[in-house]
Amino acid sequence: MTFHPHTHGKHAGLFVLAVLLGPLSLSNASEVPRVLMDERHRALLVEHCQGCHGGENAEANFRVDDLSFEIADLQMAARWQKVLGALNSGEMPPEGEEPLSVDAKTNFLDDLANLMVAARKSLGDQKGVITMRRLNRREYRNTLRELLGVEINVTELPADTGSGRYDTVGSNLFMSSTQFEQYMSLGREALEETFAREISAAEKRVVRLEAEQVTQKVADYIEWQIDAKDRATRWMKLVDEATEHPENAAIVEEIRAGPLGKHRHTIYRQWQLFPGVPAPETFGFNTVENNADKAIAALSQYHHRYHHYYMQQPAVDTGAYLAIPNEHPSVLDNASINLLIPYGWPLGEYIVRFRAAITDNATPDRQFIEFGTYPAAQQPISAHHITATMDNPQIVEIPFTLTRGHRNHNDRVLFLREKGVRDDYAHTTRIAKAAREANDDIGRTFSLWVDWLEIERVPNVAESKPPGVAALRSLPLDDRSGPPAANDVRAALTRFAREAFRGQEPPSDYVDKLTGIYLVSREAGTKHSVAIKETLAIILASPMFLYLAEPDAEETRRPLTQHELATRLSYFLWGAPPDSRLRELAEQDHLADREVLVHETMRLLDDPRSHDFVTGFVSQWLSLDRFDFFQVNLDRHPRFDNATRISAKKEVFETVAFLLKNNGSLSDLLKSNYVVVDGLMANYYGLEDVAGDEFRPVKLSADSPRGGLLGMAAIHLMGSNGDDTSPVERGAWVLRKLLNDPPPPAPPNIPQLARLAGQVLTTQERLVAHQEEPQCASCHRKIDPIGFGLENFDAVGAWRTEDHFQVTDENGKPDPNLHKTWKIDAAAKLHSGESFNNYFELRDMIASKSDDFARGFTENLIEYALGRPVGFSDEALVEHVFAQSREEQFALRTFLRELVSSKEFQTR
Amino acid sequence: MHSRTTRRQVLRSSTAVIALPFLESFGFRRFASAAEIVGPPKRIAFLGFGWGITDESWFPDINTPGPDYELPAGLKPLERHKADFSVVQGMWNKYSNGGHAGSTWWLTGANPYAEPGQSFCNTISADQVAANQLGKHTRYASLQFNHSESGDRSGHGIGLSLAWDASGKPIGGENGPLAAYHRLFSKDDTPLEQQKAMLARKRSVLDTVLDNARSLQRGLGKNDNAKLDEYLEGIRDIETRLSKDEQWMGVARPDAPLDEPRSGLVGREEIKMMYDLMVAAFQTDSTRVITYRQPVATLLTSIGNKVFPHDMSHYHSTRGEKLAASQQRDLAQSELLSGLIDKLKSTMESDGSRLFDHVALAYGSNIRTGHELTNCPTVLTGGGAGIRLGENIVVEKDTPLCNAWLAMLQGVGVNVDSHGDSTGPLKNILA
Repeated sequence: MTFHPHTHGKHAGLFVLAVLLGPLSLSNASEVPRVLMDERHRALLVEHCQGCHGGENAEANFRVDDLSFEIADLQMAARWQKVLGALNSGEMPPEGEEPLSVDAKTNFLDDLANLMVAARKSLGDQKGVITMRRLNRREYRNTLRELLGVEINVTELPADTGSGRYDTVGSNLFMSSTQFEQYMSLGREALEETFAREISAAEKRVVRLEAEQVTQKVADYIEWQIDAKDRATRWMKLVDEATEHPENAAIVEEIRAGPLGKHRHTIYRQWQLFPGVPAPETFGFNTVENNADKAIAALSQYHHRYHHYYMQQPAVDTGAYLAIPNEHPSVLDNASINLLIPYGWPLGEYIVRFRAAITDNATPDRQFIEFGTYPAAQQPISAHHITATMDNPQIVEIPFTLTRGHRNHNDRVLFLREKGVRDDYAHTTRIAKAAREANDDIGRTFSLWVDWLEIERVPNVAESKPPGVAALRSLPLDDRSGPPAANDVRAALTRFAREAFRGQEPPSDYVDKLTGIYLVSREAGTKHSVAIKETLAIILASPMFLYLAEPDAEETRRPLTQHELATRLSYFLWGAPPDSRLRELAEQDHLADREVLVHETMRLLDDPRSHDFVTGFVSQWLSLDRFDFFQVNLDRHPRFDNATRISAKKEVFETVAFLLKNNGSLSDLLKSNYVVVDGLMANYYGLEDVAGDEFRPVKLSADSPRGGLLGMAAIHLMGSNGDDTSPVERGAWVLRKLLNDPPPPAPPNIPQLARLAGQVLTTQERLVAHQEEPQCASCHRKIDPIGFGLENFDAVGAWRTEDHFQVTDENGKPDPNLHKTWKIDAAAKLHSGESFNNYFELRDMIASKSDDFARGFTENLIEYALGRPVGFSDEALVEHVFAQSREEQFALRTFLRELVSSKEFQTR
Repeated sequence: MHSRTTRRQVLRSSTAVIALPFLESFGFRRFASAAEIVGPPKRIAFLGFGWGITDESWFPDINTPGPDYELPAGLKPLERHKADFSVVQGMWNKYSNGGHAGSTWWLTGANPYAEPGQSFCNTISADQVAANQLGKHTRYASLQFNHSESGDRSGHGIGLSLAWDASGKPIGGENGPLAAYHRLFSKDDTPLEQQKAMLARKRSVLDTVLDNARSLQRGLGKNDNAKLDEYLEGIRDIETRLSKDEQWMGVARPDAPLDEPRSGLVGREEIKMMYDLMVAAFQTDSTRVITYRQPVATLLTSIGNKVFPHDMSHYHSTRGEKLAASQQRDLAQSELLSGLIDKLKSTMESDGSRLFDHVALAYGSNIRTGHELTNCPTVLTGGGAGIRLGENIVVEKDTPLCNAWLAMLQGVGVNVDSHGDSTGPLKNILA
């Protein structure tokens, strides 16, 4: 259990409401408020601190008597921070002095911790100034994709998240020599990919694997097994006869007395000792190992029944049934159906197709086929819901892109397998064992049947090329037709740079230099196709490509130019450069018209590229990075396999995407009577009659705990470590993300609670210790009760009514005497005084605070869109966007519309 | 604020450097400076492990300072070297506030909030201060070794290695032994003429992007210019490296004193190999400054622990297997360090003295345990900086860690008056 949770949050960015009620006074909305410590705490300082820390000769040269209760500068903030640190660590008051009363200390720390957050925000208020920034990692990837039509792997670049700010905030986006070199090499990689795709754009390929080829292998193997048993039996008979021969008795005795023991196999292994016994090799056992062992193994035929069972299945002549990996992997060959993409096939877009059906054994959990590459990998790419029965199988289509990354053999092997059977070895073994026991000790039943698997290349004969490719139209892409003339190269470089720079004209001396580099390379004997790619890569590492500049030498807060506005809008909603239509509208000055701008905003949101807004914004807003922190303990949570994990995360994005598409209400994220799920998540949640891989809204019964973020498995997994729940993480997350009342960041140097170790307590009993020490209580009294209200969700978001705790010894072994099971009681009282009896009441209580939620959302949206922290000076903007959206029941697009139409969005 | 002034000055001077026709300004001085050296050169190394140590069983008793102290369980594997290292207790980085950042500010002592409106900033790390002076004579001014894990599961916090450059930006390094080996010992068979042509090409690439930067720069105000300066500085760093490459062009890399490591080493084996490579790098004088950001997550799995690394660091609440994992981690790390010291002692310099006697090595973390950032665990060893060895050194509570770094820097001959939030070189550790 973690007592001090991760509190990477947008800590300073979410605070306005709480602060307005707390340590700040605000005379009017546009003025920056003053950061004030509540006067009621003065007595504590005077009574307990001033005696030593007062006057000219204050101890440690630290005075509290002249501390200002208004924090107006960094110096004063630093002094208060010192007070906070001394109290938190328990250093002050020193031993021997009268301790502070628990209540007074708790309240003092509570206010002071929040005050420091407010001070940081106030002193850090950028007053609307937006720092120029480079493209972040995700925008860089998207920008290359829009320019060249290829998506490359950019994971070697820094993620640009993790500083506690959005990846759009320029002041936190750094650049270094290492990164410059990465841009050079990634740019080259993208160009290699682009050229290779263009050269073979029109090629068509297809290959199909008929799954029943497995059947012959099984049949052959069965035949081989029978034969091998026969051969082994005949050979052993000869060994047996030799051992029974009286003159060999001494040899037998010697073997039996030896270190290897009396087992008859020991005798077979030492057949050479018996004169006249032929080698097992003469009976067809020919390996480089001890072939006596092979003969012994052939005798047991452990797998035989299972193979027979396979052959008895009704459709083995037309397809294959999927088995589980560690049931005889080297033999049955149908743990997965594999298909190699032939080497030499061109890069580009492909479609993978397969035809499959479920059998009578397919319980709802066993109706999913995982697709991926690298058959030994535990991680699939996707999972597919199969609902068609054997009388009418279905065809599933999966888009697939073959890239330069698919170099290694294993990465080119496509696979199909049953969901969840290869997540880890121990898990697979458990499944196999249970399934064997349930099926008369034969082996696991088959739930999925595959007819065939194929992959087809889709020729790209589209007229319109990506703009970067179109810019090169006058140049050959390979070396067959001879090199181009220098002025053609120069013209192409100019066009390419103009596209890469989002319409800005590249300076002519810059293009001269580029052309020079190309020509020098050519003179040195480099081929045109290589020289041109290397030259183009320089453009993709140049500042005018990498930076989104809104230049103004005087740093005035002027209105954006139309082109700047188009760029800001498209990077906000697509994380990608403006398309030609948006650039044209900017060219013609039409974006100044609010109606046009709003129309374009809606058009961009309707475009599939807006998915980047959903993933880019939502993952940071809701801190979904934590979702990937922990492995799930599959022994305890077997249903939450890797494929479920993929869908669970998608559910969060797809729900927001659904709201965005339909202009639904943000409040639905707090509570709704539907979930947006695919067949897999529906099955996970126990919802019936949801078939297929599309995420779509599904109505819930009135008593369902699902609906809204608090019902999502992904959210609860983040509030756990993959094994046990963490009410603290969950409570803090709810305060931060839903209630817009973030607790201050977990302070360092707080004494650890150790005295409960080894005791058998319920989670609640354990966490109550937080209430004893003021350093803990000042925050945890707000955090923990909310977490308790969510205890009905286990670590993977499944509903439960009981929990247990097991004490382990120093070797990690559970102590059977130190175990406790209890019924979950989700009733708790919030620090604010409200109380609830169960999860449903807690959810209602949270849902009733949609104003707070919407305000927090607004602030986050602004920070993301403008690329700077939201300060107190933004209060008017926050209020406007919030109020307008409230008028329209928090319809999601209203927030975006109002923000885009605001003066701030249109000002540099 | 002190750190900001420094950063500004650096920015200003770096811009000035860029404005000069700087391609010619770096001469070929290798032999001239080599003549100044008398005896084996001094070296400095820092080893950082993110999640700290086990509070109860790693620190010697503070009531037995000096040479006559009992080694606690967590340091027991270092028994044979007891006279040759010191544990220093009581130091911290006063500004550090990241309970999950054992390495980000460890060598810098920076205030993360020093720049208003930013939620993160950093300043130069001690190793880079050393590299600025000790790095002139070697092929690599410094080497940054890093673990081969993906993501930050080892509690290091933001960063690409332990090293941060003069403007507080993270410096990347070699992730894992194979990369480190190739950097040090891979032979370059390219003919000299071709190497020169490649160098010239690289310079014209830099020249071209700088040209583009200047065009962009013309319209920018002060703030945005400061942002673009990061780019310019990055280019300048590459230029410095190219000049260094030019100096060393035609000089073959040394023969490797060890075989190429096999790929895929993780955890304990990875650290062991990295330690061997550190010794090899010093032995061949490829560099005199090395940092190593060690893996903790894979170390745990490699010694058979399944506890999540972060959970382990919070063993206080449940103890049990988490505490056990934490203590096993301590033992594994101490054993590895002990092996490194063996190696440093057995490797001889050209004059017959031990490599150990010319190295100053610090081993530690900004995190003590849990989220505790006080009394940062610190072990100092090596004879290179004149540090007192063989003692349990207890300094005044909350002494800046940077005081120790400053003493080490000065000890290896780096001419520097202050570092980070230092208030002066830490006298207690000087012999």
